Amino acid sequence: MTLTHTPTTDEQPTTDGGRPTDESGTSGRDDSERPPERPTVLVPLEVLEGDSLPAGVPDLLANAHVVLLGYHVLPDQTATEQAREQFGDKAMSKLNGFADTLTETGATVETRLVFTHDEQTTIDRLIYEYDSLAVLVPNSVESLESVLVAVRGTVGIGRNTRLVAGLFAGTDIGVTLYHILGEGEPEDDAETLLNGVRSELVERGMEPGAIDVLVETPSEQTPIDAIAELGETHDAVVMGETDPSVTTFVFGMPSEQVAERFLGPVLVVQRERTDADEESEE
Amino acid sequence: MDDTEPSDGSGPSPAGPEPDPSPGGVEVSDALGDIVDADTGEGELERTIGLVGGLAIGIGTMIGAGIFVFPGLAAENAGPAAALSFAIGAVVALLVALPTSELATAMPRSGGGYFFISRGLGTGPGAIVGLGLWLGLVFAAAFYLVGLGSYAGQVFLEAGIALPVNPAVPLGVAFGIGLTVLSLFGTENTASLQNGIVIVLLVILTLFLSYGSLDALGVFGSESVPERFFPPGGALPVLQTAALVFTSYLGFAQVATVAGDIKEPSRNLPLAMVGSVIVVGVFYVVTIFVATSAFGSARLGEFGETAMVEVAREFAGFPGALAIVIAGLLATFSSANASILSASRAVYAVSRDGLIPEAASRLNLKYGTPHVALGLAGGPIVVLSATGQVELLAEVASFLHLVMYGLICVALIQLRRERPDWYTPTFRCPAGFAVAGVGGLASFALIAFMQPASIAIGFVVMALSYAWYRYYATGVDLKGEF
Repeated sequence: MTLTHTPTTDEQPTTDGGRPTDESGTSGRDDSERPPERPTVLVPLEVLEGDSLPAGVPDLLANAHVVLLGYHVLPDQTATEQAREQFGDKAMSKLNGFADTLTETGATVETRLVFTHDEQTTIDRLIYEYDSLAVLVPNSVESLESVLVAVRGTVGIGRNTRLVAGLFAGTDIGVTLYHILGEGEPEDDAETLLNGVRSELVERGMEPGAIDVLVETPSEQTPIDAIAELGETHDAVVMGETDPSVTTFVFGMPSEQVAERFLGPVLVVQRERTDADEESEE
Repeated sequence: MDDTEPSDGSGPSPAGPEPDPSPGGVEVSDALGDIVDADTGEGELERTIGLVGGLAIGIGTMIGAGIFVFPGLAAENAGPAAALSFAIGAVVALLVALPTSELATAMPRSGGGYFFISRGLGTGPGAIVGLGLWLGLVFAAAFYLVGLGSYAGQVFLEAGIALPVNPAVPLGVAFGIGLTVLSLFGTENTASLQNGIVIVLLVILTLFLSYGSLDALGVFGSESVPERFFPPGGALPVLQTAALVFTSYLGFAQVATVAGDIKEPSRNLPLAMVGSVIVVGVFYVVTIFVATSAFGSARLGEFGETAMVEVAREFAGFPGALAIVIAGLLATFSSANASILSASRAVYAVSRDGLIPEAASRLNLKYGTPHVALGLAGGPIVVLSATGQVELLAEVASFLHLVMYGLICVALIQLRRERPDWYTPTFRCPAGFAVAGVGGLASFALIAFMQPASIAIGFVVMALSYAWYRYYATGVDLKGEF
């Protein structure tokens, strides 16, 4: 499948068979017509399980450029080729259906279908390929009004704000910037940090009134528990990868643990991938 | 490639292969270095096995037999020169591994030798090899299972529990049923387990063989008096033993059967195949050297399949024996398991091409496993392991594989002479014609040294495979088809 970060009509995946996904999603060939740059969000779905997209996800990603990854995990004893032969058609048509749903709410969509023995390898590879800003843990949510944005520190703030502003500027969705104080970290510094993030969001087109700021002192809880618990009063969570030097994996990480407890959609902001990273993983 | 859509070829594409406009999706040759296969319109295939995983498959499949089942049998037949028999096997395996690597990088698809031969030489030879590979792996798995049963029986012996009958065969059958069920319903990925088993095995064996070698050379205590190197019969028993123990080298081809899963196939396939043959070859030769220094060949022969346990007991007492029993269980288990899975992949490969009914490769959606193919592998394996005929099982397995290896070499020569457009291997076998020529001749020659019964069964299997092809699949033309 031909890949590009800005999908254009003549580069439609050959598999789509004329599906009008990209035409309706892209308001023209001229990229400058799209006010904030569309953040690229990777949405991994176990395509053969479940009959529809998780509720709320199309609204959440209405302003995104979605890389919709349909995957199917097979045990080692099965050749992936074998599964593709048997399930490929069905999976592809389901995936295209999901893509249409996303397109109808405004997203631009590229689809990829992968049969794999290891979903993590696949997700990680596609994060690199598309330089994805974030990966969605696709849980469902009923309505989307407020989003909790966990801010850990200054690292990766640029990507974080690009994602949040890109997704939510010009919508009715409000965001709450949330920081848990580190040991010995003065509250003033934290507020400066969050206010900096806020003004950057405003610069990128968000309404100042749509942004709340919340600093908490650490309690008995781990930050993971705190985020998951506070998340319950919101509809979705945006958080960063943790300790990228240790692992680049999305799942099985704090973000995954939050997603398990919070049960709503979680956007995991990815650090920037470099070629050196990729080689070190070989 | 005839690319009729200019827009498709423009712009850098991080995903590798461009979609091919022709139906069926031809694999583009320059895409080999890429991680993912061409998308045929029904999704991509993730390659998930790296070099370490490939080596683990090769070594894990092979090491079970050569070290833990054969030393006693081999020494009985050929004396200390059994080391030479293993060395001969390693050389033949290497001569075949190099051409196999070239073919695998040209056709990195599941199915291994069957795929190369059916595409290179046509449907008839392909059918013989494809069905032969399935049954060859069935025989090999049954052989490993009897070995596994012997080691499991040894556990009872070590624990001092006396059993009224030799438990090797019943336990082997039980393991065969268990492994088949496990492969049907086990959806946990076992790759990392396999890697772990191989590492543990290599550590135990390296310690044991280092100590044993030093002891045999007289570093500890007195140097053992070597018995006459060649057996009374001269070179003939050595060659006959080489034919018998060749089963110990069947694993490198298993790497080719999962070629579709190997990352960077042009680099990792040759390294994994050649590397695993060299590693196990060295271990085998040293093992025979150590074993025949510890005991006379006749004594070793009496110990049978679990001779290495007695060798270890001689060097290190009960802990040594225990370590080798555990290692033997792990090794024969992983060999048997790998063979069952490969046999099911062989069934898939021939069914995909229409040589047997398509139903044989149906997947169960819930478990994602090919239940019919696994049944076609597991059923006969259990029946054969019930016979308990270790040497016969091993030789028939070797026979069927050697036929495939010989034809792989022929396919390489054929393809190099024909040079079809699609044949663009990224690894080229050095001195290709010579290596393939000698490798092919050596493979067929080794068959001649087997017992008449094994040869007869092997030919019957080949004849039945060919008859099946004439009956069921005459219309299928696979030559050069991707």
